[in-house]
Amino acid sequence: MQISPCISAAGPGPTLAAPPDLLLAPERVHPALWRAHQLGGQREASWASGFEALDAELPGQGWPGRALTELLLPHPGVGELRLLAPVLAAVQRAGRGVMLFDPPARPCAWTLAALGLDWRQLVLVQGRGGDAQSPPRPVAGRAGAGGRGLDLLWALEQALASGHAGAVLAWLPQRLPADALRRLQLAAQAHDGPAFLVREPQARQRPSASPLRLWLQPAGPDELWLLPFKRRGPPAAQPVRLALAPVLAAPARARALRTTAERAAPVAAGASV
Amino acid sequence: MLWYALHLPLLSLEAFCAADEAADGGVALLEAQRIGAVDAAAAGAGVRPGMKRATALALLPGLRLGQADARRDARALQAVAHAALAFTPSVTLEGPPGRPDTVLLEVQASLRLFGGAESLLQRLQAALQPLGHRVRVAAAPTALGAALLARWREGFAEGRHLEGAAPAQLAALQALLGELPLGLLASADGQLQALQGMGLHRLADLRALPRDGLARRFGQALLDELDRACGTRPDPRRWVELPARFETRLELQARADHVEQLLPAAAWLLARLAAWAQGRQSRVAAYTLHMLHEPRHRDDPGTPAVTLLRVELAEPAADAAQLQMLLRERLGRCRLPAPTLELRLVCRELQRRAPPNQELFPTRQSEQEGLARLLERLRARLGDAQVQRLEAKADHRPERSVVLHALAAAPMVEGPAGRGLPGPPDRNGHASAMDPLPLARPAWLLPEPQPLAEQGQQPQLDGSPLRLLSGPERIESGWWDGALVVRDYFIAAAADQSLVWIYRSRLGTGADGAHWFLQGRFG
Repeated sequence: MQISPCISAAGPGPTLAAPPDLLLAPERVHPALWRAHQLGGQREASWASGFEALDAELPGQGWPGRALTELLLPHPGVGELRLLAPVLAAVQRAGRGVMLFDPPARPCAWTLAALGLDWRQLVLVQGRGGDAQSPPRPVAGRAGAGGRGLDLLWALEQALASGHAGAVLAWLPQRLPADALRRLQLAAQAHDGPAFLVREPQARQRPSASPLRLWLQPAGPDELWLLPFKRRGPPAAQPVRLALAPVLAAPARARALRTTAERAAPVAAGASV
Repeated sequence: MLWYALHLPLLSLEAFCAADEAADGGVALLEAQRIGAVDAAAAGAGVRPGMKRATALALLPGLRLGQADARRDARALQAVAHAALAFTPSVTLEGPPGRPDTVLLEVQASLRLFGGAESLLQRLQAALQPLGHRVRVAAAPTALGAALLARWREGFAEGRHLEGAAPAQLAALQALLGELPLGLLASADGQLQALQGMGLHRLADLRALPRDGLARRFGQALLDELDRACGTRPDPRRWVELPARFETRLELQARADHVEQLLPAAAWLLARLAAWAQGRQSRVAAYTLHMLHEPRHRDDPGTPAVTLLRVELAEPAADAAQLQMLLRERLGRCRLPAPTLELRLVCRELQRRAPPNQELFPTRQSEQEGLARLLERLRARLGDAQVQRLEAKADHRPERSVVLHALAAAPMVEGPAGRGLPGPPDRNGHASAMDPLPLARPAWLLPEPQPLAEQGQQPQLDGSPLRLLSGPERIESGWWDGALVVRDYFIAAAADQSLVWIYRSRLGTGADGAHWFLQGRFG
């Protein structure tokens, strides 16, 4: 149909006279088309991440709705909640709920309130039994995807497919059934808010059905490296460096940067107190 | 007056085979050692009512025989009456004495509310559908007339005789009733042979005879019934009343060893429960399922005679499909201590509420309801304790400053009015994200502090030293409730530059001599 002029124009043979603006902007033919060097568009509404540098790297200028977003972290506590707090708060302001599935530790309600989230509207779904008892380390407790893990995936799929959860944030077990992510991605098409899956960094080597995958690494005190290594568009070559909501006061932060720069002995200045 | 009659021609067979999926080989019910009701497969093999048991089995060796039970039939019919009560308060039962098989509804006053006879009939049939009965519907201006038409044959639901003014309708009904065979009249039951011997076969034949002679010969009752059907004699009725407490039971066809085998029967009971709740214009808030076990197992002292499963709904429901889905998840987590023979369902907790509006586009209200329904499902499958909400406590001790509660049956989203606790930053929303004040508490709190290894007074995490960046912040609290905490908190950077919250205990050491503990991580 309308696409064929674009294809034949790229070929070496006698070219059809395609309107030049369509070639330059194939997204105007269909939103699912984009040129290889461009970022893809987002057909569905996307949610601004609250970080301009990050929005510029994401297709659709924000976290996608109706699709999974994978975040690969080395361990909990690299700044992931501070990264996601703006979008989760925006979802809550839109009157929708936020659901956390199998969080690695107990979220601190006071911190969440300071980040702009309403902790009263959070729902936590535990897949492992009881409070999150195991320490938040990638090696401990998360390996098994037994009955509990399957229950969690079932619950996550239900929440996504129902379309009534505003935003979903899930910590997946390490071992997933082969079709788990594809099922979740299918279910996410009914879910118009953002859906984040937190996984271990080793998952980067394994294929995944999620259209957007990011790799996260702390970049310094209150800073975060973020690499969107899979997205609709070319994979990002350079990670983005984001300044998170600060934990440290300015003097402590300066001290931390100085000690990092000097590669000083790990005797911190504060220890002398 | 407009009456609908719902006649259940296969009531006793359907009540017997309820929730039995494999009913294909022919079923018959025994009444006083004689065959009573017969299903189509058995009738096809030549089994007729009135046969002896041995004759029937000779004709069809695979015939499944059950005992007729008038009370079982009455329970099934009651459910149909309950479903009908959702449409009109005037519902009554009709049929042979002691064995009603027809439900009558007077719907004249409900027509306007439900948008006409056609739409009312559709909704009525949709409400009856989960009960799984074959229903023949007829409409007529008199109660008995409707019942006779429904019992006669199908095709009177649209009621062509109902057009025109009331006298014309009555005349059309009388003409139609004239075609009916006499065997349908309840009071002609014992005298059918005598009537047929006199050449009287249809109701019209009876009406053509002189009345006083007919009354002398066959009794006043026959004449009265004829007059009531034709609308020339008043027909006072006793209305069905809904009990305040719902209780129904079902004997299983075969003993159930697994909960999966209970599901069809339980679904049937739930359909009755939903019909009752809809008749009361309310929703079910909680109910109890009794699973009665095989008596043989009671010799074992550890085996209970009955297992109770109480199901409470966060969002009261009157929808049979939703109730069934929730029960499936609940039963899936349940184990039967002994084979089950009978199910009983008891409910007395109802919540009065207007039925939900049907909305074309999603609204905030329907969103909330959908979310509540989703959480209900999750709770049913994972367990009540697994779906939680946070609560902030005004306590300085980090372990006690945040509590996780099972999501209660209370409505989940409260208003923004907190009880002196920090709510979300409202109007200027995300201002706090750029708040110059640092976030002094980590986003992740470990439920139990994790002891840290140390090397030369320096705490270590995962084998590499931690750099203390900020602190100490002293927290000293809790001497009054026996959980005294005397700690100096620091913000430290781990080897990969992520920030953690650690403390040094000023009161003794941990179990393995540790001074330093990890309290949380700045997520």
